[in-house]
Amino acid sequence: MTPPDRSTDALHVDEPTVVAARLSKWFGPKVAVSEADCSFGSGVTGLLGPNGAGKTTLLRVLAGLLRPSAGSATILGRPPGRKHGVYRHLGFVPEDEAVYGHMTARRFVQWSAAMSKVEDAGSAARRALETVHLTKDADRTLSTFSKGMRQRTKVAAALVHDPEVLLLDEPLNGTDPLQRARLIELFQDLGRQGRTIIVSSHVLAEVERMAGRVVAMVDGRVAAAGTVEALRDAMSDTPRLIRIGTDRPRPLARRLLGGEWVESVRVGPDGIEIRTSDARALGLDIAAGARETGARITAVSPEDESLDSVFRYLVNPG
Amino acid sequence: MKALFLVVGSITGRLMRRRRSIAMFFLTGSLAPLMFFLALGRSESFAAEMYNDLTFSLGMATLYPVAALVVSTAALGEERKTLTLPFLLLKPVPRVVIALGAVVAAAVTSFVILEAGVLVTWLVAAVMSGDWSLGIATTAGVAIQSLASAALFVPLGLVLNRATLFGLGYLFLWEGILSSIIEGIQASSIYRIVVSASADLASMTPDTYDSVDLILGRVTIGAGGAAAKVAVMALVSVVLTGSILRRRDLVGE
Repeated sequence: MTPPDRSTDALHVDEPTVVAARLSKWFGPKVAVSEADCSFGSGVTGLLGPNGAGKTTLLRVLAGLLRPSAGSATILGRPPGRKHGVYRHLGFVPEDEAVYGHMTARRFVQWSAAMSKVEDAGSAARRALETVHLTKDADRTLSTFSKGMRQRTKVAAALVHDPEVLLLDEPLNGTDPLQRARLIELFQDLGRQGRTIIVSSHVLAEVERMAGRVVAMVDGRVAAAGTVEALRDAMSDTPRLIRIGTDRPRPLARRLLGGEWVESVRVGPDGIEIRTSDARALGLDIAAGARETGARITAVSPEDESLDSVFRYLVNPG
Repeated sequence: MKALFLVVGSITGRLMRRRRSIAMFFLTGSLAPLMFFLALGRSESFAAEMYNDLTFSLGMATLYPVAALVVSTAALGEERKTLTLPFLLLKPVPRVVIALGAVVAAAVTSFVILEAGVLVTWLVAAVMSGDWSLGIATTAGVAIQSLASAALFVPLGLVLNRATLFGLGYLFLWEGILSSIIEGIQASSIYRIVVSASADLASMTPDTYDSVDLILGRVTIGAGGAAAKVAVMALVSVVLTGSILRRRDLVGE
């Protein structure tokens, strides 16, 4: 089995623009981020992890909205929050749906541009709205927008001052497939221009489409980093737990035990739990085994297919 | 400077559109029908005296501070609750400028809402008394009230979820009860600061003067002194709010 790449090199990049150095954040007794030590450079990096993994908290600390409880965060070598000048170079799209509902999209983006000291805020706002395909609806108030349109408006507001670093917290939430594809293309373009784009998501396939590098978080810790392919390889070599519901668990378990891909079997009154190194091979063998033993299969379900489980493997392989 | 105007503009725009702000206009304007019915069929001098009595007692003691409280706690408090605060904070603008913008926006919005109510009452009183200068003193009073409330309640709204409730408790206990019975704390009472400014500009009958004197206790009448006190309060508030914006976590996990 190839272990996930958790070396220092995978967690850090050569020319970092955003750095979390042994960064922790806790809220009372709850540890939201624990000793995150990683860096980000130009290009798109996916910050991947299940809900509650600490992605949003990490992004908020990196943006300077939350103070680190321990460790430090820097953007372009400067601590955000304390040095307001850093926000000339940073764009942030929060996860929350909130926007200034009384403003039109154009006014909101223009206001963001002016606050960011952009010379010609009107033109910059028009360009940013064109980028996210909102020109047609630019003069509608944000309270009338759908969730996806609000997301795109927030992206436009974050882009309007042409930042070098862009932190995007679940920016594809609420967007339809076409909007999603366009936003992914936009983020990739921005990454190719040499900007640092950090996009959080709990959807592996989404991250795979847009990010060359992934930093995975589980339970507040940075669990792994590397290319999407490296993480996928690590996951496919990881044993899986499959549950089979059947009326004849014992004969079927005896039959399946013969397969070299079966690592362990646990028999219950109405089913079997099999840990396998090759779920695909096991799947094919279940049908043959059922025919041979006369067992009726009522269910075949991976017990640990959720992203959460997959990431737990990355933390504790085997 | 441009950033300050942008902050003031965005917060004022949002505060003005709140339903509660509209309700506060009706609250402060409720003195007008009261004034009309109480002075109906009475002499012009009675109408002028009634205007002063109503504004000094009911308006400045209860209606204006409550309206200004509701507006001021929402200036940054609502940004925090509705999760729009990052749009303000993540800009290349010093946090103290954002704080100054919030205090100015709260004061301006409060003044507009309070003064709208004052104008309606002033109009009724002027028609019934023939004295068109009556509302000048009240206008000065609500200006002082607006700035003082903004100074006190903008930072409170930022740190407390139930700042309005807390503020109502403060108005009732501190302004209403404690500063009436403890002379030593009267100088710190916003109500008395407002009355002292307003009374300095009002033309009062001896009866009205007596009631104002009773309200003020150890506080002397003087618009300049009141304005200076409130200016210091506003300055402290801006520094404090800026510090809160810099040092506290204002979004959740």
